[in-house]
Amino acid sequence: MDFIPHDKDSIKEMLKVIGVNSINDLYRDIPNDLKINKLDLPEGLSEPDLLRKLEQLAHKNKIYSSSFLGAGCYYHYIPSLVEFVISRSEFYTSYTPYQAEASQGYLQAIFEYQSAISRLTGMDVANASMYDGSTALAEAAIISTIITRKNKILLLEGIHPEYLEVIKTYCWGYHIEYELVSEKLLFSKLNEDIAAILFQSPNFFGEIEDVPSLVKKIRKIMPKCLIIQVMTDLTCLGILKPPGELDIDIFVAEGQSLGIAPSFGGPGLGIFTAKELFLRKVPGRLIGKTKEINGEKEGFILTLQAREQHIRREKAISNICTNQSLCSLAALIYLVSLGKTGLREIATQNFQKANYVKQKLGEIEGFEVLNQKPTYNEFLVRCPNINKFRTLCKKENLLPPLKLTKYFPDMKDVALICVTEMNKKSDIEAFLNAALLSIQKTKRRD
Amino acid sequence: MDSDSRLIFEKGYNHPHNNFIPKMDIEYENIDDLIPKTLQREDLLIPDIPEIEIVRHFLNLSQKTYGVDTGIYPLGSCTMKYNPKINEVIARLPDFSKLHPLQEENLGALELIIELSKILCQVTGMDGFTFQPAAGAHGELTGLLMIKKYFETMNLKKNAIIVPESSHGTNPASAKMAGFSIIKIRSNKDGEIPIDLLKYAMEGDNVAGIMLTNPNTLGLFERNIKDITKIVHDYGGLCYYDGANLNPMLGICRPGDMGFDIIHLNLHKTFSTPHGGGGPGSGPVGVKKEFIPFLPNPCIIPNNNGFQYREYSENSIGRIKSFLGNFGVLVRAYAYLLALGAQGLRRVGEISVLNANYLQVQLQKKYHAPYNRTCQHEFVLSDKNLPNDITTEDIAKRIIDYGIYAPTIYFPLIVSGAMMIEPTETESKASLDNFVNVMLKIYEEARSNPELIKNAPHNTPIKRLDAVLAARKPILHD
Repeated sequence: MDFIPHDKDSIKEMLKVIGVNSINDLYRDIPNDLKINKLDLPEGLSEPDLLRKLEQLAHKNKIYSSSFLGAGCYYHYIPSLVEFVISRSEFYTSYTPYQAEASQGYLQAIFEYQSAISRLTGMDVANASMYDGSTALAEAAIISTIITRKNKILLLEGIHPEYLEVIKTYCWGYHIEYELVSEKLLFSKLNEDIAAILFQSPNFFGEIEDVPSLVKKIRKIMPKCLIIQVMTDLTCLGILKPPGELDIDIFVAEGQSLGIAPSFGGPGLGIFTAKELFLRKVPGRLIGKTKEINGEKEGFILTLQAREQHIRREKAISNICTNQSLCSLAALIYLVSLGKTGLREIATQNFQKANYVKQKLGEIEGFEVLNQKPTYNEFLVRCPNINKFRTLCKKENLLPPLKLTKYFPDMKDVALICVTEMNKKSDIEAFLNAALLSIQKTKRRD
Repeated sequence: MDSDSRLIFEKGYNHPHNNFIPKMDIEYENIDDLIPKTLQREDLLIPDIPEIEIVRHFLNLSQKTYGVDTGIYPLGSCTMKYNPKINEVIARLPDFSKLHPLQEENLGALELIIELSKILCQVTGMDGFTFQPAAGAHGELTGLLMIKKYFETMNLKKNAIIVPESSHGTNPASAKMAGFSIIKIRSNKDGEIPIDLLKYAMEGDNVAGIMLTNPNTLGLFERNIKDITKIVHDYGGLCYYDGANLNPMLGICRPGDMGFDIIHLNLHKTFSTPHGGGGPGSGPVGVKKEFIPFLPNPCIIPNNNGFQYREYSENSIGRIKSFLGNFGVLVRAYAYLLALGAQGLRRVGEISVLNANYLQVQLQKKYHAPYNRTCQHEFVLSDKNLPNDITTEDIAKRIIDYGIYAPTIYFPLIVSGAMMIEPTETESKASLDNFVNVMLKIYEEARSNPELIKNAPHNTPIKRLDAVLAARKPILHD
């Protein structure tokens, strides 16, 4: 199959207009010894054959009826209208809206996205998007060193391990020093040379940090050190105090929870927000509201482009060009679909259900909840027989929780469990039952 | 069409509902027992809106947006080709879309990545790929970090890189993020890299290599490409290929054979995945064998029997994105490659070049074409012949009046008032003829009625906007 509309006659006519005999003549600049005869690939497929082949391939993945796995990628319900709207092909087949007059609709939508994110997070400005939570955090680290003209950052334990790896890569590239510190040691490490402190809350282990007191302490010791927060599941902001009310300088997040399918980890959505003060150091695109040159009508336009690579080249704040626009559109539609009532309810259910499971698991002999602080929809549990537990989950058609040894080889027998509004009571009962069975079988073997 | 252009937040809705949340089936506890009151928010200013109003609002916005499905989208270097609908269906198969990145039963996804790697290796002449990078610029950063790592492991201090002035803006910006300083090279009168200047630049002890696009951003094939890569290699440097312009080369020639060591592709350009209004994209990075150890962790790499998952490599640059990249975009690109096959891919290359040349020969009768040569997938016009002080921007705005999208303007920077035009292979002769007619008509208007053009656009929901005001007093949310 191909997607080329030409017939033979029109190709002939076009060659004639150009003044060449064959298409080969158009490749005359290419040295002959660089030309290949034929790619070693199979023949193309028709649409039904293609669909069948890929359905069979997709079927090699297993999708469970309910999931207790999160760790940076979450199952929340996606309202049908989200997919419906982002499938409008004016949206998804368009490019970055460089020509404002032909792109007012999408520009307004991204302006509304920026507004929705500002309302949700309480932050002054949100950009049009970054690749994902991890790169948003890494770029936040970079601009903190540009803003403060200092070259070292502190990373508080509890940041998603994959985000930490990404930050390390970016810091090595940009020659930024970094240090991973525990909460205990954080304040002793704070000094004049530190550009920023980066922390995650709720953190990778599900814990909600006492952000007001953390910020207060940092400000007392080093008032000019930037405080950067990252979050991996924004649904908690239906209940939690937003970073904009907690004196956070730069707030970034993974926005996948807001109406975007897991899709094996991407595309997701990098959310980037900052205080107004740092506006001109924000990476990526920004949509602004303006007026007609010779009129009074208001409209939307890409703005402050002097920060960007296509204007400033090596002097740009960031190299980002393509972002995750369509995903930010999905997030906008998700947020307005739920509304404040729905957002509060979803956060409530995640809190309640996860804490219910946490409590019930903790009551089972041998299971130990490891979190000391309040948790949102994830928590850590030491399991007497984690492998058996996970196998039993699978038998019940439940996607089992993360084994923490994936990222922390020393933390054996610990599961990071995620419970959302999507886990019905029957799923939870099956999950708790698997936990019970996992110890019974262990006992029998003894 | 709805003429109400108010923001969705301004329309005054108050319709509380829980339509998108399952019914709660365990007992509520008091939330204050779970989380201290001091950590709870007081208000959330997102209105509760009835579903039909949301759908109508966004449907109206979509109708004020121009996409490839609306008509020709001749943005140079963006390769705005048709996005096949079957790819959207496949990417949304629940067995793909509901797959968690950390779950174990993911054989279908891994097999897809392996098969996609194999095809892309064949198409580009490289030996292995990473799919972590989420976009072209992200791929550039990844590739440059690999170059940095390569020299670090050899204990060589190479912290400068050559970037032609005609390159995409992301090239120098990515190089800077990877810690390189930039050595600029200006193209010669034929629009190509001057060999003598290249040699001169490579003589610096600290030069790591070159970043190149081929065909370059003027749409011209670098005829000395083999000499260029050889010279860089002879001086101990590496050659990086920006794959933004790969489309016309499909099935014709391969960056791997040109002598490039590390390349990135833009799946959202060459391989038909939708641009989505600016993303998501995917910028896989391909390497020759020697550089496989430097690919990001984790990675799927070739071995003697095929491919294997590699969790960690000592010399890897590390991780560049969470999980394994924009998988949903990979699914679409894979479907496209399977649909086209060897012959279909070659036809893409050929017709993209045919279409561009068809436009160029006709437009250069009126507009100034600074490089009078056969082009590849795109070509550049300048503002030199424009009458009555008409600017390139004026022309672009007037094009929109005719119901089509404008080309890339003011890029590349080395051409005065550049208009960079890339029709892609999926535009029919009729569509191209219409574009030519519009462009020639506008040229006549520029001569006979310049005010019409200077005040364009006239037929859009909004007239030309004040970009200066937008930047001086930024309003970024309601």
